[in-house]
Amino acid sequence: MSTSAETRQLILDRIRAAILPPAKDLAGAAVDYSALPRDYIRRGSLSREDKLQLMIERLREYDAEVIETTPRELPAAIAAQLKASGKRNFIAPAGLPAEWLADDFHWTIDHGLTTEQIEQAEGVVTAAFCGVADSGTIVLHHSAEEGRRVLTLLPDWHLCILRSSQVVQSFPEYFDRLPQPPRLVTYISGPSATADIEMTRIKGVHGPRFLAVILVRDEV
Amino acid sequence: MNHVELDPRFAPPFPQAVLPVLRNPQLRKNVAHAIDVIQAKRAKLVAEKTDWQALRTAAAAIRSHALENLGAYLEEFEARCTAAGGQVHWASDADEARRLILDLLRQEKASEVIKIKTMTSAEIQLNPFLQAAGVDVFETDLAEIILQLGELEPSHIVVPALHVNRSQVREIFARRMGLKDLSDDPKELTNAARHYLRQKFLAIPTAISGANFLIAETGAVAVVESEGNGRMCLTLPRTLITLAGIEKVLPRFQDLEVMLQLLARSATGERMNPYTSLWTGVTAGDGPQRFHVVLLDNGRSSILSKPKQRQTLKCIRCAACMNACPVYRQTGGHAYGSVYPGPIGAILTPQLMQMHYAQSLPFASSLCGACYEACPVKINIPEVLLELRSQVVNQERKQAGRFFDPLYLGLRVANLLFAWAWLFHAAQWAGRVGLRVFTRKDGWIHWLPSVGGKWTQTRDLRGLPAQTFHQWWAARAKEKQ
Repeated sequence: MSTSAETRQLILDRIRAAILPPAKDLAGAAVDYSALPRDYIRRGSLSREDKLQLMIERLREYDAEVIETTPRELPAAIAAQLKASGKRNFIAPAGLPAEWLADDFHWTIDHGLTTEQIEQAEGVVTAAFCGVADSGTIVLHHSAEEGRRVLTLLPDWHLCILRSSQVVQSFPEYFDRLPQPPRLVTYISGPSATADIEMTRIKGVHGPRFLAVILVRDEV
Repeated sequence: MNHVELDPRFAPPFPQAVLPVLRNPQLRKNVAHAIDVIQAKRAKLVAEKTDWQALRTAAAAIRSHALENLGAYLEEFEARCTAAGGQVHWASDADEARRLILDLLRQEKASEVIKIKTMTSAEIQLNPFLQAAGVDVFETDLAEIILQLGELEPSHIVVPALHVNRSQVREIFARRMGLKDLSDDPKELTNAARHYLRQKFLAIPTAISGANFLIAETGAVAVVESEGNGRMCLTLPRTLITLAGIEKVLPRFQDLEVMLQLLARSATGERMNPYTSLWTGVTAGDGPQRFHVVLLDNGRSSILSKPKQRQTLKCIRCAACMNACPVYRQTGGHAYGSVYPGPIGAILTPQLMQMHYAQSLPFASSLCGACYEACPVKINIPEVLLELRSQVVNQERKQAGRFFDPLYLGLRVANLLFAWAWLFHAAQWAGRVGLRVFTRKDGWIHWLPSVGGKWTQTRDLRGLPAQTFHQWWAARAKEKQ
């Protein structure tokens, strides 16, 4: 549409005319940007152990189930969690390590599954990019072992494998860890919830109603 | 419930709009309860953040900087989003935005659309427009479903149905979803909404969302939510249309480390909202394969051009100001006659209307400053309220009928009286004599005629004392000599 180009120019002209003295270009803005005050806490003060305990505490406050294990015992811990869930049909992202796919369960690996196929699954197992202890947040960047966004959305039960080396104390520490901004992101802080009716918190509206986390102690 | 008008062009002035609310004890109870719950949670979580003030300072600086360089950042956002496979459109007003969105829906041959809660779409009255054009709109946020099915209007920007209680929700759901045996247990009601929407999510291939933030650096869009209906709409459909005000831009991805620490704590009193999603254009194999962003001006560039008022656009729509406001707590949102109620609505609505409508809103405040203190991006709302009040007064002064308006007549007389001491003393004497007639034996005035009645209809006035301060002071000075 030709009118859309005109509208675009009209709005940008209005914006440019609104700022006096005239606004800078992107390079000039970058100089101002670097001088913005950032006196908030950028690095947490907790010890490694306290940080992990905080992460566990926050997750449990969200009614998430948390189990700790070691790298060697991880496959057995996953199998135990799957068994305890009472479910049989699970999906897994294509990049999930093969040794995590416990025997005795029915696995569907996501090589381009349809929405209907994902909807059939009772649960999903994924890895994570990182965990933020301060708010008990699981960070997904949707890599091959974290899976497409829909995988952790439709199934009612989500088992997430988090390594202790991935846990940071606060959001600024997570952002400091990023080599570059990710293309897709989901931050999960407890299961889906609402307080829209009389501010009563109800768990499980549309996303998974059950979140379980296995924390793998991979640091010595 | 009475019909509520949220179009500022037709809504009655605040003092008039507030009357039905003040006479509705159920509504006031619902609002006060919700506000008390949020405020208690927020206070606890803000107190545990030792760097809260530093975060506010950083957030205010980032938002101001983004606005001062808005042109450059919007162009950067557009370039990055386009490079990632998104399509960016611009709409200068509400009408253009509505038509643009309808055109996009027609290209998709969409007869139905699912929606994530977006205040911006309420601002441009998108739903009635699409319905009239033959597109069925399904809201998916629980509060928005309650409002849509109950044909009610939102009264808060984060918890839009906070004025509706559980038995009212039960009645609406039972009637509209055909569920006769539904109880008023919030859990059961929420479950009813889950089932009602699940098939819609899986079947309707077109979605409309708002945006909490646009990231200039990467071209990503952020949506912050609780229920997962947002993720459904952002992930399952074939086509996604995002409507965003031009002011929503943040320079860098990393700015989220400040904004996300403030937003949920301020909005709902949680450390973090359950789900935050960011996506960049289109990603093969993951989510909608056609993605449009509609950037809406609708009066924002005009606000930007006024240096004192520009700060209004820093708003991140957390609603902390309305939760903190003593006026909002009594009135709820409907009295503001706008989809943006509370202190932020009192400054944003008249400005979006270019000061042609909603002129009563800047006066709907006690100027106590609680909103400024609560605001995570430090918008000095009282300062903007005063600025807008002066503009409204200047508008009124120019009106022909103003010469005989009792208020203005009175102020002009007062102006005269305060100019000369002898005139002032004479007026005091006349006032004492005149009021003596109305002063009862208990020393109080219970009734006054004419304009004075505006005071005495709700409260008593103490009768004037026998001696004025001036007389007392002069007598005291004489004694000391």
